[in-house]
Amino acid sequence: MMEQIKTITRADMADVALGGAFLGTGGGGDPYIGRLMAEQAIDANGPVTVLDVEDIDDDALIVPVAMMGAPTVMLEKLPRGDEAIAALRSLESVLGRKATAIFCIEAGGLNSTIPIAVAATAGLPIIDGDGMGRAFPELQMVSMTMFGVHACPMAMADEKGNALVLNTVDNLSTEKFARVITVEMGGAGMIALYPMTGAQAKEAILRGSLSLITNIGRIIGSEQKANRNPADKLATNLNGMRLFEGRVTDVDRRTEGGFARGQATIEGLDAYQGGSMTLRFQNEFLMAERQDGTPSAMTPDLICLLDLETGQPITTETMAYGYRVIVFGLPCDPKWRTDAGLALVGPRYFGYDIDYQTIENLNM
Amino acid sequence: MTDVLREVTDADLDAIEIGAAILGTGGGGNPYIGKLRCREELKKGNRIPVIPLAEVPDDWLVVSLGGIGAPVVGVEKIEEGEECLRALRAVEKEMDVKVDALISAEIGGANSMEPMLTAAQAGLPVIDGDGMGRAFPEMQMCTWSIYGHREAPAAMADEKGSIVVIRDTPDDVWLERIARAVVVTMGAAAGLATQPMRGDFVKRAAVPSTITQALNLGRAVLLANENNTDPVQTVIDQENGKLLMTGKIVDLERHLKGGFSVGHISLEGFGAFERDTGRIDLQNEFLVFRRNDIVEVCVPDLVVVLDSDTGLPITTEMLRYGQRIAVLGLPAHKLMRSAEALRVVGPAAFGYDDITFVPMEGT
Repeated sequence: MMEQIKTITRADMADVALGGAFLGTGGGGDPYIGRLMAEQAIDANGPVTVLDVEDIDDDALIVPVAMMGAPTVMLEKLPRGDEAIAALRSLESVLGRKATAIFCIEAGGLNSTIPIAVAATAGLPIIDGDGMGRAFPELQMVSMTMFGVHACPMAMADEKGNALVLNTVDNLSTEKFARVITVEMGGAGMIALYPMTGAQAKEAILRGSLSLITNIGRIIGSEQKANRNPADKLATNLNGMRLFEGRVTDVDRRTEGGFARGQATIEGLDAYQGGSMTLRFQNEFLMAERQDGTPSAMTPDLICLLDLETGQPITTETMAYGYRVIVFGLPCDPKWRTDAGLALVGPRYFGYDIDYQTIENLNM
Repeated sequence: MTDVLREVTDADLDAIEIGAAILGTGGGGNPYIGKLRCREELKKGNRIPVIPLAEVPDDWLVVSLGGIGAPVVGVEKIEEGEECLRALRAVEKEMDVKVDALISAEIGGANSMEPMLTAAQAGLPVIDGDGMGRAFPEMQMCTWSIYGHREAPAAMADEKGSIVVIRDTPDDVWLERIARAVVVTMGAAAGLATQPMRGDFVKRAAVPSTITQALNLGRAVLLANENNTDPVQTVIDQENGKLLMTGKIVDLERHLKGGFSVGHISLEGFGAFERDTGRIDLQNEFLVFRRNDIVEVCVPDLVVVLDSDTGLPITTEMLRYGQRIAVLGLPAHKLMRSAEALRVVGPAAFGYDDITFVPMEGT
């Protein structure tokens, strides 16, 4: 059983960042910068209260904040620090009311930590949940889209002082507009979007995500301290499964349309000697294929790459020839397994000519 | 000649179309579709009242608006028709104000018509003047921006119903960059309205009477064609212009670069110019005219290309090998020739570091 967290202190941030990197499924960006921002904000303003969505009034205003753009850019073009707050305030002024709570659009990667920094700075609680239960590359790929929550009005802000408000006809066009604006901003900007009432959030969000990443981070951290690979304990606690183990022997990675796309080949070691696995990715790992070409796991189920020795999550961008790795699979939130969910984030959306099969069925 | 223009009527639209295209100096987009839409509005009983610049009350709020994008796209992806109106309403909402009048940022080309169309739809007057007195490719190249008005907040609207409000930017060059990226996503054509200006500022910064100017220019060309008099000479007389050359296009190079149509044409003179060769550089608009390799007229002065027989304007995308054209120089308004303006719309702003602007009257 997962422990439900009630507050996030400075000491928790290491676990949050580690768990966030794990749920990043290879993408979502390194949570590190957001962790530093959150630690600084918590030092200045105190710990962040975490609320169960059931404890929120139906007419409360919940505002997700996030970084949008290429995560690698964020490591080089550091945020000034107040852009995310600027985006939040901008959205509040459009809506004519103040946010009651902050929300995390994406539990995986950089966006697992940035909203905590915003919540601490703004003195607001954060909701225990997110819109993806992992990381995905595009902003319409959230459970809220399935429940008719509009991404707009959406506010954007960058470190130069550019500020925009979008009101688009649907969430896919929000993504398209915001993407080109982000590129113009220098590859990364801060956004506030999907403003929701408490009633909408109760229906539309994926629950417990912050507790989940904190628990994952704690497991990885404590197993690492005990010199054990965390994969076994993660498998037991999360209904996850070890899909493969081996050495990365080939990485083909290109930057296409603002995304890191490509594939990696892993040759089996030990129990997996003689076999191989191919991982296909677009920022995140989307497809794991066995040697005979049959799938072993596919989006929206989670495919995570862990260091074989330490269990440390490895991103698609840092993965390199010679790495010894574990391919770890995790079932996605059941909301993603509906027709509406699969239309947003299923294999066909990403261009794979294959019907979705659950990771449980593929590995019986 | 019209005394003081108080209203644009159906009978004026054809002439304004021609005059605006001449002032477009080869660019600015085709005013034709905007003209048809204005005509539809007038048929519905809506009106286009015109306020002379000098009569604008100081405390009025005036919005400069128009289409943004690639002019060639505007002809193929026809506007839904209320893009600029939606952009106007978005700016009003953003600023929480009611706007009193509209003005064109650019009298040259398609954006001569857009404020008139929106005026008819919104029941507002247009002001007789504009922000360029011609056409230029980028938004910061207008007098509003040159003389200190900040364009943000600005709003953009597309034909599908999406609206992007640019609330703030470090400067107007950033606004242009972001708006350009947004318009590409909007399908390369959108309506854009910028932060309201006060009447006293508009009176100081607008190029005056340019709707009247376009109307009179177009009327003169139509009349000359009707009476079989020389339409080219008519334009020159009307505008204090100068005939630079009559010539045949013997070379034409034109390509798309960074969303702009860039290139040059080479001319062999005929008639009185038989011994001359000419060259015109273009970047959406005609920028520089050289006779025998020596610069004679350059931006912000207007290099205008007309069909040598009909006097009708030829835009950069209509240029063809073998065309017989008349090249005219028309003086830019003094607001476009000041030191502040030349930094933004002088030859150096278009990459000609080696050309110093000399008013065409002096060459």
